[in-house]
Amino acid sequence: MALVKVKIDGREISVEKGTNLIEAAKLAGVFVPHFCYHPGLPVVGVCRICLCELEGRPKLVAGCATPVEEGMHVVTRSPKVTDARRAVMEFLLIHHPLDCPVCDKGGECTLQDYTMLMGPSKSRFRFEKITWPEEDVGGKLILNKNRCILCMRCVNLCKEVAGQDEIAVLNRGEQTFIGTVDGRNIENELAGNIADICPVGALTSKDFRFKARPWELTNVPSVCPHCSKGCNIVVGYHPRRNEILRHTARTNMDVNQWWICDRGRGGFHFLHDKARLLAPARKVDGGTRTVSWNQAIPEIASTLREIIVRHGARAVGVIGSGTLTNEECYLARAVFRDGLGITHIDFPRRPQPEVAYKKFTIEGDKDPNARGAKLCGVTPVDSGLGTRDMMRAAAEGTIKALVFLRGGPLDLFGEPAIVERALGNVDLALVIDILPSAVSERAHWVLPGVSFAEKDGTFTNSKGRVQRIRKVLTLRGDTREDWRILQDLGTHLGVLTAADPGPERIFDRLAQAIPAFSGLSYATLGELGAPIADATADVAVG
Amino acid sequence: MLTATFEPVITRTMGLPDSHTLGVYTKYGGYEALVMALQKPPDEIIDLVKRSGLRGRGGAGFPTGTKWGFVPKSGDQPKYMCVNADESEPGAFKDRLICQKDPHQLLEGTLIGSYAIGANRAYIYIRGEFAREARLLEAAIEEAHEAGFVGTNILGSGWSCEVTMYVGAGAYICGEETGLIESLEGKRGWPRLKPPFPAVVGLFGRPTVVNNVETLACVPHIVKRGAEWFRSIGPERNSGPKLYGLSGHVNRPGVFELPMGISLRELIDEYGEGVPGGRPVKGVIPGGASCPVLRGDEIDLPMDFDSLTRAGSLFGTGTPIVMDDTTCMVRAAWITARFFAHESCGQCTPCREGCGWLQRLLWKIEEGQGEERDLETILSVTDQIEGNTICALGDAAAWPARGFAKKFRDEFLQHIREKRCPLDGGSLSDGD
Repeated sequence: MALVKVKIDGREISVEKGTNLIEAAKLAGVFVPHFCYHPGLPVVGVCRICLCELEGRPKLVAGCATPVEEGMHVVTRSPKVTDARRAVMEFLLIHHPLDCPVCDKGGECTLQDYTMLMGPSKSRFRFEKITWPEEDVGGKLILNKNRCILCMRCVNLCKEVAGQDEIAVLNRGEQTFIGTVDGRNIENELAGNIADICPVGALTSKDFRFKARPWELTNVPSVCPHCSKGCNIVVGYHPRRNEILRHTARTNMDVNQWWICDRGRGGFHFLHDKARLLAPARKVDGGTRTVSWNQAIPEIASTLREIIVRHGARAVGVIGSGTLTNEECYLARAVFRDGLGITHIDFPRRPQPEVAYKKFTIEGDKDPNARGAKLCGVTPVDSGLGTRDMMRAAAEGTIKALVFLRGGPLDLFGEPAIVERALGNVDLALVIDILPSAVSERAHWVLPGVSFAEKDGTFTNSKGRVQRIRKVLTLRGDTREDWRILQDLGTHLGVLTAADPGPERIFDRLAQAIPAFSGLSYATLGELGAPIADATADVAVG
Repeated sequence: MLTATFEPVITRTMGLPDSHTLGVYTKYGGYEALVMALQKPPDEIIDLVKRSGLRGRGGAGFPTGTKWGFVPKSGDQPKYMCVNADESEPGAFKDRLICQKDPHQLLEGTLIGSYAIGANRAYIYIRGEFAREARLLEAAIEEAHEAGFVGTNILGSGWSCEVTMYVGAGAYICGEETGLIESLEGKRGWPRLKPPFPAVVGLFGRPTVVNNVETLACVPHIVKRGAEWFRSIGPERNSGPKLYGLSGHVNRPGVFELPMGISLRELIDEYGEGVPGGRPVKGVIPGGASCPVLRGDEIDLPMDFDSLTRAGSLFGTGTPIVMDDTTCMVRAAWITARFFAHESCGQCTPCREGCGWLQRLLWKIEEGQGEERDLETILSVTDQIEGNTICALGDAAAWPARGFAKKFRDEFLQHIREKRCPLDGGSLSDGD
């Protein structure tokens, strides 16, 4: 890596050769405004707001398209630069509707911010503005061309990241506009990123539109729970409504760069489902009855104990989940495998076809923590059975108790008829879940757990990177974090000596117990996570 | 006068019947220069053209030999020659004449240029409206191919070159060299960010030279008659013969081949036979629509790159548009601005937004709705466009509006004060 010395507004720095002026200035602590430049997209140099002065050159240069050279003197705060930027702002606003009060981007709009920062407060343009009707361009986005500044980010995202020319620039001159090809919809599953990177309110998210003002949201860094890639996201939630309103991409160069897929983007609606399980329930004749945790946990614990005393630990099957956190998987192992000596412990997989775009792959493994579940020990030991075999054994009567840490459709666990028979046969069927399912409907006990946004914890992605999820929402109804449920059960079963105050302490113990996690802590994970020891080994899970 | 003794070079056979055919072309020495060139190393040709002082005839006046010299010498990648026959500048119609009357002259120049830079393929990018010229060029390429001037192992030299014609779809911006390259690649004709320049990264990412038709038509003559001969025509650093396309209010509009540096007044009065009815010249756009207008009292100057630049205008394509005193200069400015607003590619902000604004402001004044501050806005908008765009066409759009507003400020103010066009629109129609 060759370094060159440059001076930016008098501050001398050494930067990697080839760095453009915007990035170099950022390193020097100097802000160069930009609309069209995005580090993840090709440089187009069209907006002209990043014009900078180079000492000794008569013409201004575009900061995005100019690489630093040894000895360069960059000036970003001269009258000439100020005039040029003000000119660009004035030009960009002449046909702009200035409808910030009703624009969904208002509050997080680059054009609005720059106008406040450096734009003229009055326009000299006294003619009728060019207007365009609003357009629906597919499932996820609304196109308002009136606000478009033709920065090309949307076009290049589809072209360069998704590899699909679904949106293009049409016509020319001041009649130039962004449009979909032949009026078709934008269908690639990365299109939602356009709403993130559109610097104005031209392409906004249909899902988030008019739900809230961005400043009403609290933004929490987290990790998407919808596949094993572990994309970093920002969970935007409305504290007063205790509701998540959107997911946006959070940059992590080691994982998802600047992007997330649309499944992850919309992947919070399930946790606001009206059907959420909100209280512990016990099956009684002809239906279910809501019970308190104080009643449920001891009763479940004693039933389980009884079964083990009578039939042995091999009469119990524990079915974990790749959607639970490392901490919860570790607790499941501590309680059931290490504590009760249960050998039939496993978790089902949910593979789907991988979707490979030009520069972004949506992984086929739909569990966010399959690798963590395996590392933490949610796997059969001492010739213990796997999930499907457990169902068969339960259907045949050798397994007397089934503990599902997550439910699901019957076919997730085996042949539906066999699973059905297994659930009908066992003396104890316990399910912890957040939504009702075919399994929970047939269980004796249903305990309401919580989603990824209602608890703290960590996921280990397919590449072995451990990343934190955060508790964002206040718990609804009588739901409890899964780690707390497992701890309560463990305590009542007498296999956990003391309950840890929370996931961070559980993680510390996990890191001491499991070599792959050795040396890691919430502090070392930080916002971007960290790889497990020897992250490249053991990549093939299950 | 120097012009009295000038023998036409480029147009010398254009008056003959079938001047566009290979037969007529070879009868008068055609393709002899190619034979000569192929016997020399390519570097020698580049050096010859450098020494001739030939400057690009497409408007910018960049030294042709120097441009060729920028192409990397290494032979490990393909190189391309592109002929810019997208002549779209309002007022310019000189390249069209070459394509029409002497396409082989263009071909010969193209081949010599290709040989000099080491290209084995040349593309002629011709504007879509030149349908007849495209047919004639295609026929000429066919003839040259059959005669062995184009194709593999040309004249036994071991060097091969194919020439392909590409018909554009009619956009001014595709005359900008990188817009042309993009269009040739099948994309939107949006100019590229420079650097890198086409000589290094051009067509299909390979070293490419883009030359104007008239520029290349000069090349065979330089090869045959030498750099010294070429330099002896016209003033220092502005050498060679030139096709002047004269239009507007003149008795005899047309293309005239004369040396570089001829007096603009002489061109109008002697060759254009003056203004109809003996009316006074009010203004002249000296080199095509993008060049700032000159007042009638400023036309005693030599028509060459450096002289026009000194006079605050541009030589451009060397194709003056003459306007007499019946012309409304606000309307002329508006028509020019409308052209550039229509042809702005829409890629970068200042040109896309500024050109339409200029057009509106000029129309407002012409319609008698103008205010004095509009005149200041015009000047400031042109300042805001110039120098801040990706390609030079932003400048080309700003210059004429500023030129009209500065040189004919009084007429603009008269429109504003009288709230009408004092010439009732003048002799210019709405265009179209």
